[in-house]
Amino acid sequence: MSDVHASLRSPLVTGDKTISDVTRDICAPMDRKPTALWWSAFGLSLTALIVGVAAVWYQIATGIGTWGLNKTVGWAFDITNFVFWVGIGHAGTLISAVLFLFRQKWRTAVNRSAEAMTLFAVMCAGIFPLIHMGRPWLAFWMMPYPNTRGPLWVNFKSPLLWDVFAISTYLAISAVFWYVGLLPDLATIRDRSEPGWRKRITSILCLGWNGSARTWLRYETVYLLLAGLATPLVFSVHTIVSMDFATAVIPGWHTTIFPPYFVAGAIFSGLAMVLTLMIIARKVMQLEDYITMTHIDRMCKLMMSMGCIVGLAYGTEFFMAFYSGNGYEQFVFKNRALGPFAWAYWTMVSCNVLIPQLLWSRKLRSTLPVVFVIVILVNVGMWFERFVIIVTSLHRDFLPSSWASYAPTSIEIATFVGSFGLFFTCFLIFCRIAPVIAIAEIKGAAHLKKRPPAESITEEKAA
Amino acid sequence: MSTEDSLTNPQRSFEAANVTRRNSVLRRLAVAGAVVLACGIAFSAERVWSNLLVGTFYLLTIALGGALFVALTYVSGGGWHVAFRRIPEAMAAVLPVAGVAMLVVLGVRMSRYGWHHDWHGDVGTFWFKELWLTPSFWAVRAVAYVSLWSLLAGWLVARSRKQDRTGDASITGGNVRISALFLAVYAVTFSLASADWMMALEPMWFSTMWGVYNFAGMIQAALAVVIVLGLILRSNGGPLQGVFNDEHLHDLGKLLLGFSCFWMYIWFSQYMLIWYSNIPEETSYFITRTHGPWGPIVVGCIVLNWVIPFFVLLPKPAKRSSGIMMKVAIVVLIGRWVDLYVMVFPSTLGENPVFGIWEAASISCLIGTAGLLLFRSFANAGSVPRHDPFLPESLHYHTC
Repeated sequence: MSDVHASLRSPLVTGDKTISDVTRDICAPMDRKPTALWWSAFGLSLTALIVGVAAVWYQIATGIGTWGLNKTVGWAFDITNFVFWVGIGHAGTLISAVLFLFRQKWRTAVNRSAEAMTLFAVMCAGIFPLIHMGRPWLAFWMMPYPNTRGPLWVNFKSPLLWDVFAISTYLAISAVFWYVGLLPDLATIRDRSEPGWRKRITSILCLGWNGSARTWLRYETVYLLLAGLATPLVFSVHTIVSMDFATAVIPGWHTTIFPPYFVAGAIFSGLAMVLTLMIIARKVMQLEDYITMTHIDRMCKLMMSMGCIVGLAYGTEFFMAFYSGNGYEQFVFKNRALGPFAWAYWTMVSCNVLIPQLLWSRKLRSTLPVVFVIVILVNVGMWFERFVIIVTSLHRDFLPSSWASYAPTSIEIATFVGSFGLFFTCFLIFCRIAPVIAIAEIKGAAHLKKRPPAESITEEKAA
Repeated sequence: MSTEDSLTNPQRSFEAANVTRRNSVLRRLAVAGAVVLACGIAFSAERVWSNLLVGTFYLLTIALGGALFVALTYVSGGGWHVAFRRIPEAMAAVLPVAGVAMLVVLGVRMSRYGWHHDWHGDVGTFWFKELWLTPSFWAVRAVAYVSLWSLLAGWLVARSRKQDRTGDASITGGNVRISALFLAVYAVTFSLASADWMMALEPMWFSTMWGVYNFAGMIQAALAVVIVLGLILRSNGGPLQGVFNDEHLHDLGKLLLGFSCFWMYIWFSQYMLIWYSNIPEETSYFITRTHGPWGPIVVGCIVLNWVIPFFVLLPKPAKRSSGIMMKVAIVVLIGRWVDLYVMVFPSTLGENPVFGIWEAASISCLIGTAGLLLFRSFANAGSVPRHDPFLPESLHYHTC
């Protein structure tokens, strides 16, 4: 790591903190009783979750006919939500693994919560294909193992099966990475806790962390290795998700740029979600000295560059549809921009490509309300991107007599609301039980004061 | 004369002798290659032109890759690379020359592009292709791409060199903005340029991944050139001795490893999606290249561009070893030539791969010309951006 720092670099932690201040500030929300604000957010999320559970219960009991699908549009809301949620998770892996390898130290302020988001988002994503199977209690049939079901065997040629492997690997590695990263902080909580249940649980969870040089050495090695392993996952997961569409011969779905374009889109949407949550969290949890405006600024830049890549991909697709001379391809793209779903298409283009261009201005990047509005719009835009790709490519197929439209039913909307409920319920619980910022990592990355000034020690002693 | 001068002087003269020897070898390679190619025009104009297309595109993308490296590191706030930034800057400074060469090569044989023949009758759904590939429009675009790149990259490099004289730290901030502009312009224009110059060799074929694929090959080869030049310039008392250190080499090795994987990822994604969907208008490109005699060459291309760099560079000590890094970088540079060869030759010369005196001459000319241009360009400025505010970081960091 760098020993010399250029004076142009902004500090990672502001407010003249000492090492013990860092521990105290970050653990503070866990030491306090939940605030009224937390309870109301939790109540709202839990309600949404309950609505979702009820909807899922109903549709499993009744059947997939409760969805608005038809013969022409056989895939719509569920797969849109699936891709949306998988994408949200990507920023976590990017921040924790790729930015770690690139020595971007500012990541230490947001990696913990971004990784937690990854886990919750992948859980939310998993719900949709699981329900779509119709008989989710037979989900284990997706696993290829010798069985007594005769020739019933998974189809290795199907990208949907690759999805099963890609996403379960992703979930497993992300969970391990997150947990390993938590170890030193769990030990910190153990050491700070009074004897009681919290101390007992964290003692077990921190795997006997003793803070010795040897422990640290091994920890750092494992962390680096996991970062190396997680990096290909940033690409593989959304690449394979994109192949769910791109391996088909449907105009609008089959295009070779899909893998990197989906990856960029996923990181784009994930960063928007990280920013959404972090802008709220830093305020509510008083973490402004740790998640500074510099952090927001950098994430905005990263998000905007991803948005530009996504914009280039939209342009490339459109260009190539016309360049190819393929009439069907041309029709699909004309239909996207001018057909019955044009409103969805232009929502997508405005939210993902046009509005993020505002972030070229440093002034706007440092105006929190503006940033907040933009990231919310990006979240919306990225949901619409998947909706546009999926529904507009299907609803007017090769045979005009089978043209149809699609609108989600209340059950589908309730399920989607429920997935947000699950996501935020999990996130709010996470904020209460684990440090939202990696304490150990931020201490290593930021240049903190070596020891508190003498008077504060005397004050502490006096207290 | 200070003590330091008298100590370094013998080394300097040794270095000067080295440079003279190196330049004379490069000049011979360039001249010999050029003479043979010039004779080749009489015997096999088509092959010579194909070779020139590969060679100039190779040189141009190296130069553009250098500019891209500089711009990316400015925008991402990098500090680690500053000590050797004059290498990618030297590459970027070659852009105008490489660009003009590219334009000349494209200009002399525009007829080589299949679409150049007049389309008769109703163009139907091909109206856009007809419009887009109109020769005059196509030529104007080519000039526009090259001018934009040369202008922006030249501006970036000139300002960085100016910082040496003025020591003005605000130049760095300004360069970050120019870099952002360059990247935005580059992303659009290079996608289009690679489609215009390479994809349009087979005018009926198309792939949305094409621009990304060309970007991947470009950045990979540019990194390899940075490594090769860095190692040469730090050896035998060269100007970067003691400046370009093992930490820089290690990080460049990581990047080369990463971008080799990225190239493979993009290559595979493009191939797999076309293979899987099996739509005749798309498979044509790969059928020529994977069936018959081109097959083993495509496999060779993958071995050179991904298998070797991946497995050799995986262990940490390999990335810090000058010998191994030099060899891998050269393998990647050979791989880049093969990649372009596979892109161009099946389209221009048909199903049977050819390799003979004209190819050897063009490679010799490419090595000679590129070497001379790059070393001269490097010598045009101070070898270290000594007033860059991030220089101390670059000289004192440790990779993990």
